Formats: sequence, C-alpha cells, structure tokens
Amino acid sequence: MFGEITCYGQCLRSWAPIVALIVIMSIASITASLMLKNPKKRLLMFGFAQAGGLFAIATTFYLMDCTEMLSLYLYFAYVAISTFLIFGTLRYYDRLMIRRLEAKPAGSILKWTQEYVDMLISARVYYFDSAVPKAFAAGRSIFISIGLLEILDDDELKAVLAHEAWHIRNNSRIPFLSRLAMMAFSSTSEPELEDKADNFAAEIAGSAALSSARNKIDKVFI
Amino acid sequence: MVKLDQINISNDGLTKFFSPIEAAILRALWSEGEMTTSELTGKTNIPLTSVAGTLDRLVKAGYTTRRTENINGRVRYVYEPVLSEEEAASEITTKILDSLVQAFGPLAVENFSKYSDKK
Repeated sequence: MFGEITCYGQCLRSWAPIVALIVIMSIASITASLMLKNPKKRLLMFGFAQAGGLFAIATTFYLMDCTEMLSLYLYFAYVAISTFLIFGTLRYYDRLMIRRLEAKPAGSILKWTQEYVDMLISARVYYFDSAVPKAFAAGRSIFISIGLLEILDDDELKAVLAHEAWHIRNNSRIPFLSRLAMMAFSSTSEPELEDKADNFAAEIAGSAALSSARNKIDKVFI
Repeated sequence: MVKLDQINISNDGLTKFFSPIEAAILRALWSEGEMTTSELTGKTNIPLTSVAGTLDRLVKAGYTTRRTENINGRVRYVYEPVLSEEEAASEITTKILDSLVQAFGPLAVENFSKYSDKK
C-alpha cells in the first residue's frame, strides 16, 4: 500500500502535492459530513467530498506519466458509481421524504393549496401526519404537517407556501455544483436565503399574513 | 414515559407512569372523550409547542388515536383515547404485577395475597 503511494508520487512528479491536497480536502469533507447533524447538509457535504475525489482522480489521470495501475481504475469506478448514487439521492430526496413521512398529496385534504402553488411554480404539495407545526421544501415538493394546517388561517398558509415555493424556485435556478459548494462552505448564506424567501412570501401573500404566520410558528418552518 | 419502561414510585398519581404533559392530556381525554387540539390546549392549559410533540408520541405509542376532519375548509385533528381509564389502570397494574412476579417469583404472589387480605 505504502509502496503504491510512493509510486504515485514518482509518477506525478512535482504535481503530487497538489493531488495530495485535493485528496486531503476530500477526506476532510467526509469527516465534516460525519459530524454534521442536519441530514441534508450531511448529504451535501458527502457529495462534495465525492466530487473532490473525482477531481483528484481526473487530475491524476491527466498528469500521470505511468500506466496500468489497476487499483486506480478500480477506485475510479467506485467514485463514479458512488457519485452517481449521491447525486441521484439529492435529486430524489423528496421521494425519500414522501415514503419516510407517509406523506399524501395536500390537494386531497385542502384542494386550494395545490392550486395556489401551481400558480407560483411547478411543485407538488404534500401533507404528513404530525401535530407539530412544520413546513419544508425538498426536491420539487413542499411538505406541510397537519399541525401547521390546524394553527394557520388561509392567508398565513399562503405566506408559508409562497416562502417554500421560493426555495424550490431558487434551488432550480442555481447550478447544482455551486449550490453544493455554497451549502458546504458558507453558513451565513442560509439566513440570507430565508430573508429572500420571506420577501417573496410578503410580496405574494402580504406582509401582515407572513408576520402573523411567523409569530404563530416562530422558527418552526425553514 | 409513554411505553411504561420507567416508573417513578415517588411521583404523584399518573405521573408515576407518564410525563406530566402526557398525564394531563390523558386525563382530559378520559373526561371528555373526543377532543380537538385547541380544546386540549384549552383544557390542559399547556401551550401548543409543548403539547404537539407529546400528542405525536401518545399516538405512536397507541394510547390515543386521531383522525383528521375538514370542517368548513379548516383541517383539524380529533383525538380519542384508545383505552378507558379503567382499561389503562388494569393494563398498567398487570404489567407491574408481571414484573414483580418475574423478579421475586412465589414471594411476590404470597405478598399479593397478604396485601389483598389486609385491604
């Protein structure tokens, strides 16, 4: 194992430190992803680590003088497959949530919610069984708990739906990799995103409805 | 705790077996039968932030059931106790007696009969 690493070092010559740096960054991201509590951020961090690994492999291939290293090919295949899986999981995160929460289309319980969101963006609205007032967006879906439907009136619910719709619209506008990098590296951008989502919600549903919804479920919906 | 895996003998009343909020909710449901979430927060005087998570737990543990109702465009939960107060008392008693017999065998049974003779 060690012999092979020195062999890579020789093949890469003066580029070896750079590749090593990328590999270390990638390992650091994996460690960070294990320490993060938020499952979505964790997934994103892991995806970022995978992208780093892929980049390190590509650089090695491009710069290397030697050939015929089976372990390198095998690792390349592993990175390619796992990256595909990670990106697939992110794309279908909402399907996972639907199954986990046993969520059902909100249109079946409160018809206007789906119609209202249809006017803003193309996304599905789901409700799930919980008394805790909560709303969030994942993939191209908005999830609301029955507890949220209980405490909000129609105008307040519209403000919440507009807020979540903005997140989905914003997510689809930013290229995937920069979204990944942004979420992995900066913690400051999130409150900023929340403010922007709130501005949109206030514009669509009225600032009175938004602030009374906020008062009722302060910091419960993101 | 809802699953009866922890019993605090020194606590008062139902809070020997349930948390204070769980006990308050169960008492309210036993006296009223069916209740909505807002009726529950009103009756128990406990804010929704504390009640909501507890209600989810009580439903999951099988002590209450709930159904959703859509009245005039308002969606709400209606809660109902699964066991009556008597049924819950008998279930809790059986579980505790079982665990005493498991721990002390015939000694426990001997003490039960002494106890019922005294009463």
